[in-house]
Amino acid sequence: MASLVIHDLHVSIGDRPIIKNLSLTVNSGEVHAIMGPNGTGKSTLAKVIAGHPDYTVTGGDVLLDGRSVLEQEADERARAGLFLAFQYPSEIPGVSIANFLRAAVQARLPEGEEIDATAYYKRLYAKMDLLKIERKFTSRAVNEGFSGGEKKRCEILQMAMLEPKMAVMDETDSGLDIDALRIVSDGVNALRGPGLGVLMITHYQRLLNHIVPDFVHVMYDGRIVKSGDKSLALDLESRGYDWVKQELAALPA
Amino acid sequence: MTTTTAPLPPGTVGAFTRAAFEAHLASLPPLPEWWLARKRAAFEHFAALPLPVRNDEAWRFSNVSGLTLDGFAPPATARAVPFASIGIRKAARLIFANGRLFSREILDSNLERRGVVVDTIQNALREHGDLVRDHLLAQPARLGSDKFSALHQAFLVDGAFVYAPRGVEVELPIGIFSFALGDQAATFPHTLVVADEGARVTVIDYFGSQDDTERQLAIGANDLYAGHGARITYVGKQDWSHQALALQSNSTVVRRDACVQSLNVHLGARQARHESHSQLQAPGAISEMLSLTVARGDQEFDQRTLQIHQAPHTRSDLLYKNALLQRARTIFSGLIVVDPDAQKTDAYQSNRNLMLSDEAEANSLPGLEIQANDVRCTHGATTSRIDSEQEFYLQARGITKRAADELLTFGFFEEVLNRLSQDDLHTALRTLIQSKFSGEKVIR
Amino acid sequence: MKSLTDSGSAATVENPIAGIDQTKGDFTYDVAYEFDAGTGLSERTIDYISSVKKEADWIRAFRRQALQVFQSKPMPTHWATRDLENIDFDRIRYYLASGQKPKRTWDEVPEDIKRTFERLGIPEQERKFLAGVEAQFDSEAAYSNIKEIVAKQGVIFVNSTEGLREHPDLFRRWFGKVIPTGDNKFSALNSAVFSGGSFIYVPPGVKVAQPLQAYFRINAENFGQFERTLIIADEGSEVTYMEGCTAPKFSTATLHSAVVELVALKGAKIQYITVQNWANNVFNLVTKRGLAHAEAEIKWIDCNIGSRLTMKYPGVVLKGRKARGEVISIALANDGQHQDTGAKMIHAADETTSNVVSKSISVGQGRATYRGQVHIPKRLRGCRNNTECDALLINTNSRTDTYPAITVRGDRNSIQHEASVSKVSEDMIFYMQQRGLSEGQAMSLAVNGFINDLARQFPMEYSVELKRLIDLEMEGSVG
Repeated sequence: MASLVIHDLHVSIGDRPIIKNLSLTVNSGEVHAIMGPNGTGKSTLAKVIAGHPDYTVTGGDVLLDGRSVLEQEADERARAGLFLAFQYPSEIPGVSIANFLRAAVQARLPEGEEIDATAYYKRLYAKMDLLKIERKFTSRAVNEGFSGGEKKRCEILQMAMLEPKMAVMDETDSGLDIDALRIVSDGVNALRGPGLGVLMITHYQRLLNHIVPDFVHVMYDGRIVKSGDKSLALDLESRGYDWVKQELAALPA
Repeated sequence: MTTTTAPLPPGTVGAFTRAAFEAHLASLPPLPEWWLARKRAAFEHFAALPLPVRNDEAWRFSNVSGLTLDGFAPPATARAVPFASIGIRKAARLIFANGRLFSREILDSNLERRGVVVDTIQNALREHGDLVRDHLLAQPARLGSDKFSALHQAFLVDGAFVYAPRGVEVELPIGIFSFALGDQAATFPHTLVVADEGARVTVIDYFGSQDDTERQLAIGANDLYAGHGARITYVGKQDWSHQALALQSNSTVVRRDACVQSLNVHLGARQARHESHSQLQAPGAISEMLSLTVARGDQEFDQRTLQIHQAPHTRSDLLYKNALLQRARTIFSGLIVVDPDAQKTDAYQSNRNLMLSDEAEANSLPGLEIQANDVRCTHGATTSRIDSEQEFYLQARGITKRAADELLTFGFFEEVLNRLSQDDLHTALRTLIQSKFSGEKVIR
Repeated sequence: MKSLTDSGSAATVENPIAGIDQTKGDFTYDVAYEFDAGTGLSERTIDYISSVKKEADWIRAFRRQALQVFQSKPMPTHWATRDLENIDFDRIRYYLASGQKPKRTWDEVPEDIKRTFERLGIPEQERKFLAGVEAQFDSEAAYSNIKEIVAKQGVIFVNSTEGLREHPDLFRRWFGKVIPTGDNKFSALNSAVFSGGSFIYVPPGVKVAQPLQAYFRINAENFGQFERTLIIADEGSEVTYMEGCTAPKFSTATLHSAVVELVALKGAKIQYITVQNWANNVFNLVTKRGLAHAEAEIKWIDCNIGSRLTMKYPGVVLKGRKARGEVISIALANDGQHQDTGAKMIHAADETTSNVVSKSISVGQGRATYRGQVHIPKRLRGCRNNTECDALLINTNSRTDTYPAITVRGDRNSIQHEASVSKVSEDMIFYMQQRGLSEGQAMSLAVNGFINDLARQFPMEYSVELKRLIDLEMEGSVG
């Protein structure tokens, strides 16, 4: 049983505070969705959890299985079981998906242990079959010249291969048409299970029609202002974010 | 070490002997001490340096045997100049004939009131001595023409001085016309442009001769200095006699958030060398370097450029296009230098040669020297003929092959002309190039 | 006497490039040299070499004339690096050999030399995938053999000394014709003191399926290796030649200055592959050029990872109609290294095409330079050149330069040159780190991706080696 605990987190870029006192717990087997208007700090949260060097944590903690990850480099966190599905995945010219994933799997083996190539490809093909991805896909260079949908499928395939304990999905639905959205959601649903905790970050409710969350949180101005079950997402869909803002304004400061 | 009494090596100074230099100094009004000292030092430097030889890297592919200084004389004072308007409204106009002021007209009466100076260098030496001292030939010649730059400085008689004070935007261009008149005439035109903080100014520098048979020597220079946030647009139009040997060197200094756009159009001379040296000295500096050349007959155009990025977040963009007809030759040698501290440099350099004859020769040496890693630097060079598919398409519409080629060549140049923001300038230049292309004498 | 002086792995930590050589090439065995021309260069040196080799008068005269040319030519520092001035020609030993005739079996090779090549894995490679091997130890080949099946087809694969002696007419007909003595100062030096290198002749129509390989080993200190290779592919034949090289790292500079001439007759194909991994005290100043007759194809695949200074611009003279020339170049410059490489394409006939792809990587304080020449003289029709140069800078103090020179006459040809300089973006590194790769591994992967399309052109065995070398290079390069 794994957990991702975010505790009183404060984050800045330079001198500008972005996240202010944010707390959240995700346990394995759960799917959490964070929704909120643009510019509220959602993507910052995703990158901070993953360890992006541009952000400074000024207070609080992020714990994976009870252990703080803040002192760890991005790759250490990844090997500890944290996966970030990027909103804008990088292109890596000349490096095929198969070789890239092989290097990533190799990096998780103990020092001196060599990857078993046959077993690796067997597992890769099994995951590709599960996600309905064609074989030739993995001989293409990582994300190079990919459509928006292909990039997101590539992210899901990596997630399937690396078998993280916790996956943070940053605006997975952005740039996808409805068909691509369905394919990607089917992939995520196929990976759902008791061993995986998911934190989905999204602006729109439509993704949550396909990946139904157990918990929904509303993020505004760098903190979580409202939490509930999946019906909260539907409320937001019909009433808009202004409803949350007005509710907040009515509260005493 | 050359002493003042040592005989000069034969052939090295040509007509520009020590006696000629002394006579030149005697013909000038009293000069400030510093300027006189610089001129004397320049003469010694000139006399001590050898002429370029074939093995000089900076002169690779150049016809160095054409670089003779023999047989030229200080020209007589002109009585008339072949000036004709090219239809661009101007704020002021200076006309020089054989290096001396022929006329000065301030057409926009607001100029002087706003503190804009459009005057001769001789006057500026007296009235704006500090500015002239700071910017006149103040940068080192780094592209191979040290000897000719020194000669220019030693024998410089007069030139144009343009100064736009802080925050002043001069809407209309300032025109400067330099004519070389008479056979054997040697002339040393100079244009100095200083734009103070936030100022804007456009200068059109025109170079021409009376006719294409006069053998002449023109060694010119221009200094462009754009202060903090200033913007200079400079257009040089070189249309010297087809028997002229012309060497022109440019120095552009761009300060913080300033921008200099320069376009040089090369049409004239038997052999023309143009050196352009842009220094991007502070963050936000931008230099755009453009050139169009119509090379025909036996002309040789030799262009050397240097884009030096000395500060982070600077940008330079160079596009040089040559159309080559008959037996003409062109040389483009460009270098982008990115200093170790100049991270986030964005530099581009492109040389395109359009071959319109089986006898023409294009040489291209696009170079990069990069010492900072976080940069975006690219260069490209292409040499090719007119696309035969496009040519056929036009012919299929009933256009003659000759007309089709002309049309496609103008199309080739349009990319550069379109970079100019002023429409009437664009139109005037296109007319100039078209007349040149068809072999007619240029209408000014 | 024959003690092992293995300099161990102490330097591995300090310098990743030395690390490669330490694991692979940085060791030296004491060897008793039977022949030694002494230190310094004079007519006597040359006479000694000629006498030892029992050379004909014409070659003796050729060497003497070359020495004069070498002495009269200035160092090309008006365009090249001044580091050349640090070569002390008076301190170099120009000829060192243990014997004159290479052995045909490894068993006959003297033990002290054999174990060097065994340690480098040469006999094993020969068994696995090569049609023939020549192993040069300092000035002479210690071993040279060609598989019987290939020899039966009439293919000649011997060292240059044997080539001169046993095939004088064929040798003399092409020797020095592609690269004249006076081509440059170092081709003149090689012409004066050359020894070793390969002589290959492939008869008309013969296609040698497996590569021929030469391995060049410098063992002695203060030594200069000057091999001379001449490959002639007769009409319609095909051959692939691979060379590898290593040397131990001495405290003093070592000089390697080869001349390689290729002749591809009508319709022939020559592919010449180099993986240069000299220790980083070696001045590697090499002249390589091929002459491609009608419809022939010459392809240079050149990878430079080692040496202190490499100056090498493989070229093709496209002499016959529809000849093709290609240079694929990979250079990796680490601390203390300057890889000054490039290509020359001289078009001398109609419808000739050339292609140059160069990728360089500068790491630490390394400097990579590309120099190119494309020449299309007048009255030619339908010639095409395409050149791409891409440079990758890893650290803020790395440096890269690009100096192409292109001359085109006439309106019937087309050339295109493009170059770019870039770095590995921080976003890309973060992305890979998020997948669990360390920063060094991420950098290695990015660099391998950068050269991947070129690395694929190497034979399998070499491209794997190449990837391994780059991984080692990149490990210590970040942070």
